[in-house]
Amino acid sequence: MDVFGSFALLLAFVCAVYAFIGGIAAIRTRHPLLVKSTRQAGLATCGLIFLATLSLEYLFFSDNFSVAYVVAHSNRSLSPFYKVAALWAGQEGSLLFWSFLLAVYVFSALIAYRNKNGELMPYVGVVLAGVQIFFLTLNNFVASPFKALGVPGVNGAMDLVARGDGNGLNPLLQYPEMVIHPPNLYSGYTGFTIPFAFALGALLARYPGEKWIHLTRKWTMIAWGFQTAGILLGAHWAYAVLGWGGYWAWDPVENASLLPWLTGTAFLHSVMMQEKRGMMKVWNVWLVFCTFLLCILGTFLTRSGVVSSVHAFASSNIGNWFVGFIAIILLVCLTAYFKNRDYLKSENQLDSIVSRESSFLFNNLILLVSCVAVLSGTLFPVFSEWFTGDRISVGTPFFNKVNIPIGLLLLFLTGVGPLLAWRKTSLDSLKRNFGWPLLMGLVAGAIAFPLGVRGFYSLICLILCVFVASTITMEFYRGAKVIRARSGASFLASAVDLTMRNTRRYGGYIVHMGMVLIFIGIAGTAFNKDIQKEMQIDSSMQIGPYSLLLQNFDTKQEKNYTAERMIIEVTRDNKPVMMLYPERRIFPANQASGTMVAIYSTLKQDLYVVYAGQSPDTQAPVIHVYLNPLVKCIWFGGVVVVLGTLVALLPNRRAVLVLAAVQEPTRVKSMAGTLTPSPTLREGHD
Amino acid sequence: MIKGRGIFLATVLCIAGSLPLLVSPLPAQQPSDRAHQIGGKFMCMCGCNQVLSQCNHVGCTVSTSMLKEVDQALARGDSEDAITQAFVQEFGTKVYAEPPHSGFSLVAWSMPAVCLAIGLVLVLFVIRRWRKRPAHAVSSVASSSGISPEMLERARLRAARETQD
Repeated sequence: MDVFGSFALLLAFVCAVYAFIGGIAAIRTRHPLLVKSTRQAGLATCGLIFLATLSLEYLFFSDNFSVAYVVAHSNRSLSPFYKVAALWAGQEGSLLFWSFLLAVYVFSALIAYRNKNGELMPYVGVVLAGVQIFFLTLNNFVASPFKALGVPGVNGAMDLVARGDGNGLNPLLQYPEMVIHPPNLYSGYTGFTIPFAFALGALLARYPGEKWIHLTRKWTMIAWGFQTAGILLGAHWAYAVLGWGGYWAWDPVENASLLPWLTGTAFLHSVMMQEKRGMMKVWNVWLVFCTFLLCILGTFLTRSGVVSSVHAFASSNIGNWFVGFIAIILLVCLTAYFKNRDYLKSENQLDSIVSRESSFLFNNLILLVSCVAVLSGTLFPVFSEWFTGDRISVGTPFFNKVNIPIGLLLLFLTGVGPLLAWRKTSLDSLKRNFGWPLLMGLVAGAIAFPLGVRGFYSLICLILCVFVASTITMEFYRGAKVIRARSGASFLASAVDLTMRNTRRYGGYIVHMGMVLIFIGIAGTAFNKDIQKEMQIDSSMQIGPYSLLLQNFDTKQEKNYTAERMIIEVTRDNKPVMMLYPERRIFPANQASGTMVAIYSTLKQDLYVVYAGQSPDTQAPVIHVYLNPLVKCIWFGGVVVVLGTLVALLPNRRAVLVLAAVQEPTRVKSMAGTLTPSPTLREGHD
Repeated sequence: MIKGRGIFLATVLCIAGSLPLLVSPLPAQQPSDRAHQIGGKFMCMCGCNQVLSQCNHVGCTVSTSMLKEVDQALARGDSEDAITQAFVQEFGTKVYAEPPHSGFSLVAWSMPAVCLAIGLVLVLFVIRRWRKRPAHAVSSVASSSGISPEMLERARLRAARETQD
């Protein structure tokens, strides 16, 4: 099966090269048969990558320990659930997984547009094939997951061998979320290839109008949704597995996943300027280019060993390939831009500084500044070593100090932006839209201050969260009220109807509400408490309202590991709450160990208990207990964000022609005819 | 008289009771808390990429010994600066949890602020420039169709309101 997989990958590489070169020839000659055959080659590339991926999974499930990658990341007692996850546990397999997910996107795009956009698709196909060639080069010639296990023979040649059992999967990865976190994150990274291919293809083809924006909108949202889910799942995994009481450590690999998310978010906002007003064409194209480049940069950071991280793969020379690829992409993008920049000329015109357009400009600025801050902080150790010879670390305190004010500014714009009208917002409208929310925010602050919310950032965050939540609630309330008055339906049904009439707008509001919840959860960090203590059996400790009694300390034997665990009874006001079992697992296959945190989670706070090992002096078990307020808001907010994204992806229930409702029918008729070309005035649903 | 003696005795007892607090060292917990606080300014050198006071992953002996060093230095009466210097000498500049506010490290601190300032100037410049542009399309439409500017403005505002995302 390993030979089959290798052969499938090699054939996929050949097909991708044909799709690339044949595609360029097809663009030049416009020969229909050549266009068709290159498209088929693109599809064949994807099919062959699927086969290669399946064959690697087969090798895992059949415990084929003659393949080096299987030996390194699996063993016989590994559960089938984690044998799926072993595919992306190492450098070689995760690169194949990259190719696989990219193939899913490429296949879907080629099928979805097989009979559409005939002028544009050959260009898109060439760009996609180019990206696939890079990853297939790595899969075939640099980091093949199908390498057979060998030992040097007597005559110097390598003899093939097979091991009886493998090294097993990294214990940190033996957690349910590791089966879904990487696929989500990778789907985000790879998904941004589609908007990139369309943007570059449209620029190269000088494809007219904003059509490429319309074509790629949903792809961008899908990629963004996956990236968001991936980041949050990763944060939850770090929280539940790493045992340090937090969920985001500003680790370089975590930062790498945040960078394209920030520019992708900026693009999702600024793209509306181009759709509605034909503005910011150059900016949007470069945002898409930068998002894709940051995806590749993130992959480079994770795999090159250039920055140190607990999440990174073993350092290797693969980084040079990524640097080369980034340089090529940048060169191609710059060339395409300078050659065809007149195609991107916009009719930028603003009526007022107090308008939706201005808020998008500021939103993009803040997101980009945040991206620069995270990127420069992540790469600063490398730069400091280059310039001064000393590597200066940049840890959590720096990122928090820099990003918290930026995040709060962004939160403020989240509340303000959607309520500003396109073109111009009147003073009356400002008062009507912001009066109550502002008051609500200030009242919330006034209530919270005497209750102990004294930290400057926590207080501002709380005020802004209430302000933004109020603006969103009012938007839903006003719209639902109108529908309810007309239809007589219940308020909830009216709100659902309202959402389904303009999924993009109200889906966006739901996403914003999810972000508010996430911010509330983050603000709770200011009130975290923790205690570390040696415990004897039957001894107890107190944290916040909880009392923890160590009932026992034992060892249990499982199929794949041995666990040392504490058996702790949690009580509150002398009433039993629950039993917690924090563990330390030792995996004999690779002699690695890992924690299993025990969490008692409520809406208000998490009681987070870590078994921190045995004291070297007394051999007594050491417990580290955290009381983390409002953490649940983060996970719940994440679910709301993903739900909002899904809503925004749905088609609108019906389109309402705005001009049909204008009162002066005769005059409006003539206006309608005159103004039809403007997308702003055409439909009320978008 | 009896009342005055009672107050005198109570005062003497209070002072006597407070003396041990004044002369004895601080409670054993305090230096540890201080060490924990100072530990927030350094990275753990075990390679976990976490701040020293937060590193508690299973089997990490480095963070324990580093915090112990801080504890001992505090017990000797070393200042925070002296502890920082000692750690930098021992581990190099990679021990900082955040770049120091001096020398080349100022680049890291100033980068976001400089970017924000430049970006802000650019955005304001762009808004100013775009606002100056005449709305050719709208005026030509108004003049050719014979619609009054007021009505056109009203319709435009309504359309804008109803098409907002």
